[in-house]
Amino acid sequence: MIHLFREVMLEKQWMGQQVDRSICVWFWEQAFPARDSYKVPSVIASPAHYLLHIVREGITFLACTQYEMSPLLGIEFLCRVANVLSDYLGGLNEDLIKDNFVIVYQLLDEMMDSGFPLTTEPNILKEMITPPNIVSRMLSVVTGGSSTVNNILPGATSSNVPWRASDLKHVNNEVYVDLVEEIDATVNRDGFLVKCEVYGEVHVNSRLSGVPELTLSFSNPSILNDIRFHPCVRFRPWEAHQVLSFVPPDGAFKLMSYRVKKLKNTPIYVRPQLSSDAGVCQVNILVGMRNDPGKPIDSIALKFTFPQSVVSSDLTANHGSVDVLTHKACTWSIGRIPKDKAPCLTGTLTLESGQDCLREFPTILVGFKIMGVAMSGLKIDKLDLQNLGYRPYKGFRALTQAACYEIRI
Amino acid sequence: MAPPVQSQRLPPPSQPSGKGEVGELKTQLRQLAGSRAPGAEDLKRELYKKVISYMTIGIDVSSLFSEMVMCSATSDIVLKKMCYLYVGNYAKVHPDLALLTINFLQKDCQDEDPMIRGLALRSLCSLRVKNLVEYLVGPLRTGLQDSNSYVRTVAAIGALKLYHISPSTCIDSDFPVALKALMMHDPDAKVVASCLSSLQEILTLEGSASEEASKERELLLSKPVIYFLLNRIREFSEWAQCLVLDLVSKYVPSESSEIFDIMNLLEDRLQHANSAVVLATINVFLHLTISMADVHQQVYERIKAPLLTLVGSGSSEQSYAVLSHLHLLVMRAPILFSSDYKHFYCRYSDPSYVKKLKLEMLTAVANESNTYEIVTELSEYAANVDVLIARESIRAVGKIALQQYDVNAIVDRLLQFLEMEKDYVTAETLVLVKDLLRKYPQWSQDCIAVVGNVSSKNVEEPKAKAALVWMLGEYSQDMLDAPYILESLIDSWDEEDSAEVRLHLLTAVTKCFFKRPPETQKALGAALAAGLADAHQDVHDRALFYYRLLQHDVSVAERVINPPKQAVSVFADTQSSEVKDRIFDEFNSLSVIYQEPSYMFIDKEHRGPFEFSEDIGALASGASPDNSVLPSQRVEASDNDLLLSASEKEDNRGTATNGSLSYSAPDYNGSSTALVSHSPSSTVNTAAVSGAPPTASISQPIIEIDDLLGLGPVMTTTPTPALKLNSKTVLDPATFQRKWGQLPIALTQDYSLTAQGVASLTSPQVLLRHMQGHLIQCIASGGQPPNFKFFFFAQNSEAPSGAGFFLVECLVNTSSSKAHVKVKADEARLSQDFAVLFQSALEKFGVS
Repeated sequence: MIHLFREVMLEKQWMGQQVDRSICVWFWEQAFPARDSYKVPSVIASPAHYLLHIVREGITFLACTQYEMSPLLGIEFLCRVANVLSDYLGGLNEDLIKDNFVIVYQLLDEMMDSGFPLTTEPNILKEMITPPNIVSRMLSVVTGGSSTVNNILPGATSSNVPWRASDLKHVNNEVYVDLVEEIDATVNRDGFLVKCEVYGEVHVNSRLSGVPELTLSFSNPSILNDIRFHPCVRFRPWEAHQVLSFVPPDGAFKLMSYRVKKLKNTPIYVRPQLSSDAGVCQVNILVGMRNDPGKPIDSIALKFTFPQSVVSSDLTANHGSVDVLTHKACTWSIGRIPKDKAPCLTGTLTLESGQDCLREFPTILVGFKIMGVAMSGLKIDKLDLQNLGYRPYKGFRALTQAACYEIRI
Repeated sequence: MAPPVQSQRLPPPSQPSGKGEVGELKTQLRQLAGSRAPGAEDLKRELYKKVISYMTIGIDVSSLFSEMVMCSATSDIVLKKMCYLYVGNYAKVHPDLALLTINFLQKDCQDEDPMIRGLALRSLCSLRVKNLVEYLVGPLRTGLQDSNSYVRTVAAIGALKLYHISPSTCIDSDFPVALKALMMHDPDAKVVASCLSSLQEILTLEGSASEEASKERELLLSKPVIYFLLNRIREFSEWAQCLVLDLVSKYVPSESSEIFDIMNLLEDRLQHANSAVVLATINVFLHLTISMADVHQQVYERIKAPLLTLVGSGSSEQSYAVLSHLHLLVMRAPILFSSDYKHFYCRYSDPSYVKKLKLEMLTAVANESNTYEIVTELSEYAANVDVLIARESIRAVGKIALQQYDVNAIVDRLLQFLEMEKDYVTAETLVLVKDLLRKYPQWSQDCIAVVGNVSSKNVEEPKAKAALVWMLGEYSQDMLDAPYILESLIDSWDEEDSAEVRLHLLTAVTKCFFKRPPETQKALGAALAAGLADAHQDVHDRALFYYRLLQHDVSVAERVINPPKQAVSVFADTQSSEVKDRIFDEFNSLSVIYQEPSYMFIDKEHRGPFEFSEDIGALASGASPDNSVLPSQRVEASDNDLLLSASEKEDNRGTATNGSLSYSAPDYNGSSTALVSHSPSSTVNTAAVSGAPPTASISQPIIEIDDLLGLGPVMTTTPTPALKLNSKTVLDPATFQRKWGQLPIALTQDYSLTAQGVASLTSPQVLLRHMQGHLIQCIASGGQPPNFKFFFFAQNSEAPSGAGFFLVECLVNTSSSKAHVKVKADEARLSQDFAVLFQSALEKFGVS
């Protein structure tokens, strides 16, 4: 059963006993005092049920159970539902779901039965239930025939490669491999890099006809610390030669995710200085590049929230723009670091009367993006394709962005 | 934990236009029913869509049932799907109309298109109307032999649905046997998985009733089945893999080589993208190796990396769930994680419940090598904007200090906290410094110097204030102005709201008096006078007790009130290791997240047969040997019992109605014999004192005050309005259940039991009778050793009938000798008084 956006948008009962909607009321009573449901633990117990929920784009997906179960099974399933829905509907919002009730019901019907998850692979679902795209809408208008469901049952449901339909045909055969990395780093009050990790994902977008065999190898696989694979990846070749061998699903999917521990450096540094005296706090934040990654660093932005005791602020920057919102959130968007000067934010914070110096310290969250570089240094060596009668186009990209790069003042 | 509340059906949202539109739809559908005109299908589809969306927003469209069914004769699959959906939703409410649908569903079950066959079969099984099961068996049986795997999958799950509607039909039609055959021989992994899931559930439910089924269930765990499933595990979908892994975790291999085979086979599952699979695999590993200590340790090493990755990646919801599991492992084997402490550093963006878990883990993994870094990190949180986390992190620092690593540096840090001059930081730190001093008296010099500078005016929180007062009393010889600070605190006695602080003040000033009599005498007199006039029972009693003791002999008083103390070596742990082991056994389940074993929160009907019930009605009948006795009759019966026992225990009642009695008569060696010793988290010396509580003879003549204390006037006491319980109270289970659901928890307390109490608690009835003698009725009870659960109630005698009830949930664990009590009350302000009564009643159990 799922439930969305403060009012119940949609519910689905899979089990015999009906769960009453009043449980949602109860849930909101729990969630409401906390203002945003982000603050409610994702698993809570109500008087009669145990509720699991996730929040995606302001929509809450809620599942409830009376049985002991694996919580991750529930949460993972809800995530999958959210992903499939947003994939199908091209986004997630109230209107989209309301316009497509029928599709959503059909999907939920196929994804779970009697409390047991069935098909959650988007590719197979798409064969069973056609997504509501413009083409199919056009078709239905033109032909007037039945549209949203294929009359043939997909062969893949019984094939040995459950994530791939058996006979796919594309006019343009192409495959893209993207390395997307996120840096998590924490710099403590003394300016030391306490923790720095890279979490990376390899995204593949494959549009290939037939049943291709792909082999992807890295030039430096040894730096990877912990790896998780899409079910299509075969384990033996990886263990033996650190090569990814797989038959890809059609379309975009996450081939693997990995973690690289103990990075020594971050591409940019932030040096904050705060000194307070007689109710006024002098702020001086300096941003600069540390080791040039070879590609420009884009969309650098610093965000922080003033402590409660700050009543007003006067901050200016020599580069980029500074926004201070009413709830004391400050954003300094720098963009690219200019060649000739180091961006610097200066100004004062006025503290509430009675406070001489600042006692609570904010944490600065830093955001940036680097195209074309994987910060961990991971490099794709080559991608081989076999079992094909054609030459497809191959594309590679890399991207690094800051996920949770925080600097404590 | 609370008994299941009967959910009230909400009225459907009122939609003014709803009624009219439904009527309109009805006529439109009727017109279309027979129409074969071109375009009719499209019109139908639009109408169906409308119906479905009304249904979704909660408008009752069940009145359209017959029209919907009439229109369902169509070849359009989308229309069919919508119709199935509609029928599935309303069939239960209109069983008679559901019969109409059977015909077309059965026909669809023979359709050429496997998709339609499957969908029709699924809808047929989802009707859930009991008198229609006969129509189900045939299609299900053909469905199980269908040539298409999709239909077979649906049929396998359908068998389970059939079982839920009518277990006997399912068993009589031999579906379990058919499922098993299909499971072992079907080429399609999906069919196998759904057979397995259905079979497991049917056999588990049936197993409690018939021996044959439980044997069958054992067979599921046999070597051939497990190996068969394991060998195909890669073919299964990720969800089915979870199912299989769950089954494997219950399998007990016969020899160790098997264990290694299974682990080798499953090792790559740890790298699966689905976190549910990873967790299920970890669960298998942990369970398989639990008896092999060294391998078990290696398993920890192996699973560490995947778990840490899962925490770092994925959504915040997932990472919370994984973190809870990690938390459990860290608590079990902190040493193994001591080098990974950086993973538990809090991120600014983490929600506070995640931060809290991380802080606990940081505390656990601290050892010689990493304490410095961890404490540095924690100190940064103390200045955090998030007050809750700032508090938690200070507590964490304190806990690490109590683990004896690097105490020196930590004490310095704590003292720095005191200099931050933030109210909550100071408050938390004071409590910690107090605990530290109890463990490491040798640090007193350093601490006292700083604590002395803390102005008592800045400390508002009762706990912190109590800690400060305790230190003032304990170290008054080293703190120059201790008597004067105490004196000023006593001057503002009336403004002090917290009884805890007032109690501490009494003790502290008395201790101070022993060390520095001339300076403290006046303050002591004032404190005792104020204490005697205090409205709070405990404060009053303690004042009186000290006063009498001092009057009797000052040196004896010193021995009692300020005996030489030994440093505390270990502070009590809140959760027994047994409970922790239970949780560990339930790895990869909700228990881990609640940090309680499942028997403490899962309802009986959803559990195995051996655990006790939460359902009050069932409990009441379970308590009596005859199951046909209705709960209400049961209550009457116990009411009669009560009348008998109450008259027998005339004396008891005499004292109970004595006006101000809230303690039972104490005996000085009572603390060892009493069943229940109440253990508040206060300081050692209060515990020493409360071991000898004062007698409650307040109605005795007026007290003379000794001149030594410089008190002229005679003190009289105003007896506090103590609680009397109604001896003839009645409450039916339904009302109890309703009240329990409505009222908030007024009080939660833990008592520990002693040997006598435990020994006499062989069945729930014993305690039940005993409590009735104390005018506390039991409405439901249950359980088997070591876990018992009781629901008690009592009524204030001054309240009108139907009001003034106290409801109690009492969990007793005889093996850990703990009783966990939750009180809910109509009048929450009286719940404290009631708790005292309840405790005194419990205390007598097993002793008398």
